[in-house]
Amino acid sequence: MNSVMYLAWRSLSSRRSSTVLTILTIAISVLLLLGVERMRTQAKQSFANTISGTDLIVGARAGQINLLLYAVFRLGNPTQNISWQSYQKIAADPKVAWTVPISLGDSHRGFRVLGTNTDYFKYYRHGSKQLLAFSQGGEFENMFGAVVGAQVAKKLGYSVGQKIIIAHGISDQSFNRHKNSPFKITGILAATGTSVDHTVHVTLEAIEAIHRSGKPAVNMSKQAQKEKYRPSQITAFLLGAHSKMKIFVLQRQISTTKIEPLSAILPGVALQELWSIMSIAEQALFVVTVFVVIAGMLGMLSTLLISLQSRRREIAILRALGARATYIVALILTETVFLTGIGIIVGAALLYLLIGVFAPMVRSQYGLSLELSMFSSSELYMLLYVQLIAIVVGVIPAISVYRQSLTDGITVRAY
Amino acid sequence: MNIIELNHVDFRWQNTADLTLAIDNLAIKRGQKVLLNGDSGSGKSTLLSLLTGINKPEKGSIKILGVEITALSNAKMDNFRADHIGYIFQQFNLIPYLSVVENVLLSCRFSKKRARSTLKEDVTQAHALLSQLDIGSHLFDRNITQLSIGQQQRVAAARALIGAPQIIIADEPCSALDPANSQRFIELLMRECEQQQSTLILVSHDESLSAGFDYQLALSQINLASQLS
Repeated sequence: MNSVMYLAWRSLSSRRSSTVLTILTIAISVLLLLGVERMRTQAKQSFANTISGTDLIVGARAGQINLLLYAVFRLGNPTQNISWQSYQKIAADPKVAWTVPISLGDSHRGFRVLGTNTDYFKYYRHGSKQLLAFSQGGEFENMFGAVVGAQVAKKLGYSVGQKIIIAHGISDQSFNRHKNSPFKITGILAATGTSVDHTVHVTLEAIEAIHRSGKPAVNMSKQAQKEKYRPSQITAFLLGAHSKMKIFVLQRQISTTKIEPLSAILPGVALQELWSIMSIAEQALFVVTVFVVIAGMLGMLSTLLISLQSRRREIAILRALGARATYIVALILTETVFLTGIGIIVGAALLYLLIGVFAPMVRSQYGLSLELSMFSSSELYMLLYVQLIAIVVGVIPAISVYRQSLTDGITVRAY
Repeated sequence: MNIIELNHVDFRWQNTADLTLAIDNLAIKRGQKVLLNGDSGSGKSTLLSLLTGINKPEKGSIKILGVEITALSNAKMDNFRADHIGYIFQQFNLIPYLSVVENVLLSCRFSKKRARSTLKEDVTQAHALLSQLDIGSHLFDRNITQLSIGQQQRVAAARALIGAPQIIIADEPCSALDPANSQRFIELLMRECEQQQSTLILVSHDESLSAGFDYQLALSQINLASQLS
């Protein structure tokens, strides 16, 4: 057995260029396979991490995915708003611990603007129930304060104290900018890898104020401002219950309320449903990488088959020396194991290298955090499968060599 | 004692009507040096493939060292060949990706009988054999492609001789050598065979090489099949 490994190794290293190319082909396919798998799991993770600690999301009656998309991911638009009265009524329910109102509809240079109150920073949680943290400044100091997400600040180069203008609607055209009402940035949030990073947060009252005609009254007491610019409606609100047992009672109560048609959704369930829709794309991507691996294997197969023709003499010599036909088979199989084994190691090393180099960039550009973590068990299984498939593929040249060596025997054919 | 003994051996290649080889009786004694003459087509390769057990005769008996090799399984025959037979091809005997010494040592990898107890002893033996066959020590670790054809054939001889197998078969080992080199090669090969008491069977169509051999056999005389056709 030792001599098989020794000969296989020497033979591979003598055909250096084809060996290196084959190893690279396998390494790149392994890199793709692992890279896609890692992107997939970490995208899924950061997706699921977008919101946590919220028991219910309440909005106008709609499908749960629709509600989730606009309330959490700031995608699409609500069909209808909720009246301030129904919001107040539900918030006052003794089973409700806290609520965070959300008002959407405006934008700032391509980023969504979200109207809320300071409870947002107290109750909104993401990841493993982490609260939002400020990298600079703090909560709104007055009605026209704004808190921007990490990406907003980074892309637009904002810092605390800077003045910004928001536009009505999602398209930022000069004619619909609320020019009368400049906002002042009071805080910048730390990066979360969620949609919060791409959001400009302002107060509910400010949203109401800029939509009313005339210059907003700034020189008033806070309380008076709140009274004057109390919104008549909001888009949705997040809700935390006192006890987990009461969530379903609340959900039913809200969905069946007579005041107006409302929906209350469980964020975890809705996230899962949304992900199952997206998983089709994810699976398609996975299938593509599987084909890349197969292409790598076929490349190896063709190199091996080509090499066999020129190795008939070598095999005849080994047979004359007393090597069994099965020894020759083992020699070829060992070569495939070496090629893929090294290919897998090189591919994995490339993955770590690329993650090490590009993870900070991917994190800052796409908010996707790629971790330099050890292989997960599913990744290890993938590598194992690659190795097993390679052995199965290696059986093809091995069988052809076996037949060849039986017919050739020690008769030497020309090179 | 006969080291090789063939009795009433018939052989034909698959799908051919005529016999390729029909040998009534052939016996070679231990320690002899035999020149087996034959033109191409006289059944040389066929006879060698039978002696090395790669092919089995249709009928008849082949005894080597008293063992009926026609009765051996393929795997046992491979072991038997590794243990008792050193083989030298016409040309291109060596594995291109191994060094000179590594090529010689290959024989020991396939046969426990021919290997000494340690690799170091094998290497010492390989060096000694190579030196006796006029391969300078500066060539030992060279790549075989840096050797002349004559040197390559002598390395092949060393590989056949290492571990002192009872039988050395050389199939036209001089066909690629010039007359002077041929003569020298055969002299060296014979000397080594004598020293380790190996039986030498050298196949050649060139009768001028006969000096030093115990006797010559003309395959055309032994092979009844070639006489018929």
